[in-house]
Amino acid sequence: MKFGKLWLLLPAVILTAFVGIFPIFALLNYVVQTPFEIENRFVGLENLAKLFKDYRFTDAVLRTIVFAALSLLIQIPLGLGLAYLFRGAGKLNAIMSSVIILPTLFPPVTIGMMWLLLTRTNGPFGITFNFLLNSIFGEPYDLYKNAIHAFATIILMDMWHWTGLTFLVSLAALTSMDETYILSARSEGATRWQIFRYAEFPQLLYPLLFITLLRLIDSLKIFDEVFILTGGGPGLSTEFVTQYIRTIGIEQWIFGFSSAMSLVYLYIVLILSWLLIVGFTRGRGILE
Amino acid sequence: MSVTSKAVKVVIALIIAIIFFTPLYFTFSVSLSSKARINEGALVPDFYTGSWVEITGGFGYWRTGIVNSLIVSTAAMGISILVALPAAYVFTRYRFLGDKHLFFWFLTNRMAPPVVFSIPYLMIWRGLNIWDTHYGLVLAYMVFEIPVTIWIIASFLTSIPKEIEEAAYIDGYSTAMLFRKIILPLLRPAIGVAMFFAWVFAWSEMFFASVLTSSVAKTVPAQLLTALGKVGWGVEYGPAAAAGFVSVIPGLALLYWIRRYLLKGFALGRL
Repeated sequence: MKFGKLWLLLPAVILTAFVGIFPIFALLNYVVQTPFEIENRFVGLENLAKLFKDYRFTDAVLRTIVFAALSLLIQIPLGLGLAYLFRGAGKLNAIMSSVIILPTLFPPVTIGMMWLLLTRTNGPFGITFNFLLNSIFGEPYDLYKNAIHAFATIILMDMWHWTGLTFLVSLAALTSMDETYILSARSEGATRWQIFRYAEFPQLLYPLLFITLLRLIDSLKIFDEVFILTGGGPGLSTEFVTQYIRTIGIEQWIFGFSSAMSLVYLYIVLILSWLLIVGFTRGRGILE
Repeated sequence: MSVTSKAVKVVIALIIAIIFFTPLYFTFSVSLSSKARINEGALVPDFYTGSWVEITGGFGYWRTGIVNSLIVSTAAMGISILVALPAAYVFTRYRFLGDKHLFFWFLTNRMAPPVVFSIPYLMIWRGLNIWDTHYGLVLAYMVFEIPVTIWIIASFLTSIPKEIEEAAYIDGYSTAMLFRKIILPLLRPAIGVAMFFAWVFAWSEMFFASVLTSSVAKTVPAQLLTALGKVGWGVEYGPAAAAGFVSVIPGLALLYWIRRYLLKGFALGRL
């Protein structure tokens, strides 16, 4: 009885092992070789050693982490703030909730295409950004020549795409909050900030962990929108890790080196996510 | 709430609504504009229907893509639910050696960037002769869909009391009957949510689709990539915008479907 139904796990385990573990071993196999080069040799750990000298890879990793940090720092407070503004029943709140959630349901490629159309010099966002930049800094908006403009546009695009998700989770958390703590804090004469910090925030912690983790994982694998919008340019200013590995691996078929990059980046992502989970739940894990 | 703060709220709402709606409106407008009109950057379309004709008929290029997307998303959804449902049941009902580790291992697959898997897939799929087929693409999607589906269903299952099942066993139910008569009816909302996420994941996924297909099984996102000129020929904004608009229809449909929950100020329960 106790072990009676463990076989129900088998289909999931077998399928996931085939698509999840088998390829990792294939990667390990490629890492120690130089497939598709003039001579396929056994090179040991040479590919891994080369990795840390490749400024394009290390820069891309740092750039992706900076991007993920910036987008989390913007989107989580913004989503929470909007959830405070538009929570509760009512027509305006319901309409605004659906408007803010809308972009999260769109395919990333489509988002990239929308922004490609919008940020052209005569597109609505292109004109707006140009006007704002001209009146504040006195320089024209140029997505394809100015690295800072390109990076800022990608941060804005990601914000437009994903704030809905942080908003949705914050809204659900706010709705299911236990009001008694807040009421008693208020009757004790606590200020609004004190109520937020000591009565509401502790209850929001777990949902915020959930959404931070989800957004972290997804920001670290960003590719589609950026590839459509800027293609990694100008220069390398918006080239994120996925795109670099794709260029080396899928387009140029340098399998040994790109496999090494894939493995190292996989472990960077896993370690960052694991640190976040352990830090937030104090080692309890996520199954309970 | 005072009148001024109400007014401020309405103004903020209006600004947000404009920012969030412009891209959707503009894409639709571009899909209904002729090439010259698109290049002018006009905000109002001239109701040129050529792009939509090309999407739905034309040379059949986009139509094949839409059909492929529908086949792949539906198949991936069906298989991931069938496989994940029993697994989620075991994870929430039994404690066994390494259960937490196994669960975490499933989730690590969701964390991995798709590019990590795509290089070995490219070679293995070619070796197995499933490159550029629907089977191959569906199989590749399992690596992300099974973990997420297990996670969603498991988080709902924990809220169903074990006592119901014990009562069913005492009444002489078999495992199959238990699933059909008790677990499935109770899990209907969870399965609905999981089905939606699984379907939409495959519908929007571009990375595997662009690496693992070339023509026969190419889906709309991969076609968009080609049409926008990053891989292949020149930029065709009109049909791309129309196809992009087709790709957002499931999202719009979902929003329509959940509107009453939003109106109630909605409690999603635990996520």
